[in-house]
Amino acid sequence: MAGQDLDSYLKRIAAQPVSRRSFLAAAGLTGTAAFLASCGGGAKADTELFVYNWSAYIADDNIEEFKKRFGITKFVYDTYANNEELIAKLQGGATGYDIAAPTAEYVPGMVEEGFLEKLDLSKLPNVTKYIDPKFKGLWWDPTNEYQVPKDYGTTGIMYRSKNLPNPPTSWQDFYDLTTGSESGKVVMVDSMGDVFVFPLKMLGYSLNSLDSGELEEARQILLDVAPHILALDSDLYQDKLATEEASMVLGWTGPLLGLQDNEDTADAAYVVPSEGSLFWMDTWVMIKDAPHKDAAYKWLDFIQDPAIQAIETEYNYYATCNTEAKKLVSQEVLDNPAVFPPDDVFVKLEGAEDTSGNNQRLDIWEEFKSKIGG
Amino acid sequence: MTAAAAPAGLAPGGRRRSALLTGLLVLPAGLWYLVLLVAPLAIIVVFSFGVRARNGGYEPALVLDNYGALLSRPEPFVNSLVMAVAGTIGCLAVGLPLAYYLATRAGSRKNLLILLLVIPFWTSFLIRTYSWLIIFNPDSGLAGIVNGLTGGDDFAILGTPWAVLVGLVYGYLPLMVFPLYVTLERLDRTLVEASKDLGAGRWATFRQVTLPIALPGLVTGSILVFIPMMGEYVIPAILGYGRYYMMGNALVSSFLEARNWPAGSARAVGLIAVMLVTVTFYLWFVSRGRRTRETSVL
Amino acid sequence: MAARGGGRPSIDRWGGFIERYFRVHTGLVYAFLYLPIVIVVVFAFNATDTRVTLWRGFSPKWFGIALTDPVVQGYLINSFIVAVPNAILATLFGTMAALGLQRVGKRVRLAFDALTYVSVIVPEIVIALATLVLFATSFDAIEAFFGAGRPGFGFHTIIAAHMLFNISLVLLLVRARLSTMDRTHVEASYDLFAPPWPTFRQITLPQLLPAIMAGFLLSFTFSFDDYVITTFTSGPGSTTIPLYIFGAIKRGVTPETNAVATMMLILTLALLALGQWILGRQSRRERGRGETMAGIIAEQA
Repeated sequence: MAGQDLDSYLKRIAAQPVSRRSFLAAAGLTGTAAFLASCGGGAKADTELFVYNWSAYIADDNIEEFKKRFGITKFVYDTYANNEELIAKLQGGATGYDIAAPTAEYVPGMVEEGFLEKLDLSKLPNVTKYIDPKFKGLWWDPTNEYQVPKDYGTTGIMYRSKNLPNPPTSWQDFYDLTTGSESGKVVMVDSMGDVFVFPLKMLGYSLNSLDSGELEEARQILLDVAPHILALDSDLYQDKLATEEASMVLGWTGPLLGLQDNEDTADAAYVVPSEGSLFWMDTWVMIKDAPHKDAAYKWLDFIQDPAIQAIETEYNYYATCNTEAKKLVSQEVLDNPAVFPPDDVFVKLEGAEDTSGNNQRLDIWEEFKSKIGG
Repeated sequence: MTAAAAPAGLAPGGRRRSALLTGLLVLPAGLWYLVLLVAPLAIIVVFSFGVRARNGGYEPALVLDNYGALLSRPEPFVNSLVMAVAGTIGCLAVGLPLAYYLATRAGSRKNLLILLLVIPFWTSFLIRTYSWLIIFNPDSGLAGIVNGLTGGDDFAILGTPWAVLVGLVYGYLPLMVFPLYVTLERLDRTLVEASKDLGAGRWATFRQVTLPIALPGLVTGSILVFIPMMGEYVIPAILGYGRYYMMGNALVSSFLEARNWPAGSARAVGLIAVMLVTVTFYLWFVSRGRRTRETSVL
Repeated sequence: MAARGGGRPSIDRWGGFIERYFRVHTGLVYAFLYLPIVIVVVFAFNATDTRVTLWRGFSPKWFGIALTDPVVQGYLINSFIVAVPNAILATLFGTMAALGLQRVGKRVRLAFDALTYVSVIVPEIVIALATLVLFATSFDAIEAFFGAGRPGFGFHTIIAAHMLFNISLVLLLVRARLSTMDRTHVEASYDLFAPPWPTFRQITLPQLLPAIMAGFLLSFTFSFDDYVITTFTSGPGSTTIPLYIFGAIKRGVTPETNAVATMMLILTLALLALGQWILGRQSRRERGRGETMAGIIAEQA
């Protein structure tokens, strides 16, 4: 699958040198271009769009199609490494972008701080028509006026089945294995919200709990496993799984298909633990005072065009919220439970909230981080 | 006052020093310090007395809570201190003989070698660090080889403080070598020869001839290496597998994860204060008994 | 010249060993420095389709991709746009300040020293965020005051932010060098009533040159490779290579980055070799002349 993408990518580059060259001219060649562009853009029909997003999170085909369809000559795609950077930058007062892609739990805060433009839904017919109702009116955007769903996924346990005769099916299993036979071979992502899912769900509480008693119990569990953790790593955990330094990872599904495609690591598997887990959703938002509002609206509507959204799903391997697009996605991807959680799993998923302001959580998290590895 | 130091306002030779020229020389740097150092730091200090806004960030207030919380968790500071001291000593051990060789023995190839010293750092930091992951790989890298030889399977370099130490020394070596080189290069070999001719042993020569000349470079180098190492967190995160919780992590946690800018600011102010005191003490200690002549060369 | 002969065999016994140690040590250090670089180059030929850290066979395809990828090329150019003006200005301002600081009163000098050290002490994340707030607040103020034309973030904000650390770097290096310099030449020149500028140019500047060059190289390197400050002071379209690479971690850093780094390396080393060859020819010509002079002088002695 990945190989196919690469070959077609190469063919595309060879076939369209002209549009790529115009991309070069656009993509920040001179400081003056960027300076002038960022200094209050003009009111002409937009030929530019400034997108601030995670890396490699939009299919190149879709970018090209968008530019062609709407006559955009300059598509700036800058990247941030995580939500925290985006929010910190906005909080510090950074400006200049049209579109960003925060994870849903940050949207309410961004709305309150005035970072986001309120969306005129009449300009987004595709969004109104095709987004699955179960992703609308959710707690992070009750009126659906501040974000457009991008994709969603889960947090769970990724593991090498060949090393685990009794693979984990629950957080309790995860706990037992980590403190037992798999001690020193477990990796967790460096993300407070995701790691807290494990103890809280294992105890049967909400993963967004702010109750001090519940958090104290969670703290105990975390401190129990801390000495058995090999690494806290959000970016390279698939390598550790591949070299078998690690047998289990508390993480996300992104790298899974890459591992499964390779014959050495084809035994990689993923499970959403039976007690339940977290479901995250990434969203498209328009930044307040976006310099190219017109182009931004076009983008938000364009990206939910079913054909376009299907390409996104095939590119990112993350589930789409678009009902029409799902019909165009290949059966293989649709059937993959790591990408599209089946209904019986879906009911056990809880949406994440922004709990980063809770001092007790932070304290526990820092204590946990200090005690890793013994 | 030493012999050639002229009275204030007069250059050597007795000419009137132009205050205008002095001002112009110092103005650009001074401006930068004022606008891009003092002002931001003032902002940080103000923030440190505030509270976290509801959604993160800063809300104006005047409380001391953030400073009160500073001492509750000493691990990051201690971890960083140990790492930074070890790293600085490592840089010194690796860098001093190198700087000495470059300055005194390399001859015509000096400049070439100096340039070759920096060129590795024009490849991106991250892929350099990834290279260390590959080199120390428990499967196919160094650790794997050791395991293969000994028949065991749990020898690991990655995730240990040693991997972090190698990463630190690797990353900061030029910052130690350049200052040392820049001062040692002025070492006059005839002085060294004369000292030995007069019967001084190698060690005594080193201590009394070489070291005093190298000292400003040594001081600058160790400060330029130790200070940033105290704030370093990416190398321990990647090569140390995130097992060491450092000051840098604590700061990033406050500012980015918790989005509690006041708490982060207080941590920063605390760290800066401690470092400032350390550096001041270090400078004073090293310059005891040395009179530095600040006679203008212009 | 006297005491050489009968002397101290115990001292000389170490002489050869020490000389050899220096050479071996130096060699090992360069090997240490370039080992990861060798890995970077080798893994540029990694046939993998995604992550660079796992070897999947040999293939030069990533060089092809790098050469035809204008996006990454754009980022590389951006990195230069940030690093070169930065290094030049920082070296200029830092050297000027180092010279000026020798003429000021003790208290001003102390204040400057303190600020220099503080600028090195402040952790990057802190100065990055604080500078962002400063810029944003200033831009707001400018907009409020002038009514229109709000300045944006871009190369200028990144360069301004980088220069703080770089000026300090140059300042420290040049001052360290100045403190070792022999004033007698300068003073002699003044005593002979030579004007200040030629004195500076012919006596002081050549002696300062290693420190100035060192400052320039380090400033360039720091700017070129910086991530944290650049992230928070950048604007649309000013993505540099480090930003691109750090952003790419989540999806996997591909060997394309290695290919780009390898090509840059080859280019730099080629330029270096060229420079060496040119200089070598020059100095051979000069030495020819010089040797004759030295020869003549020696004969007279």
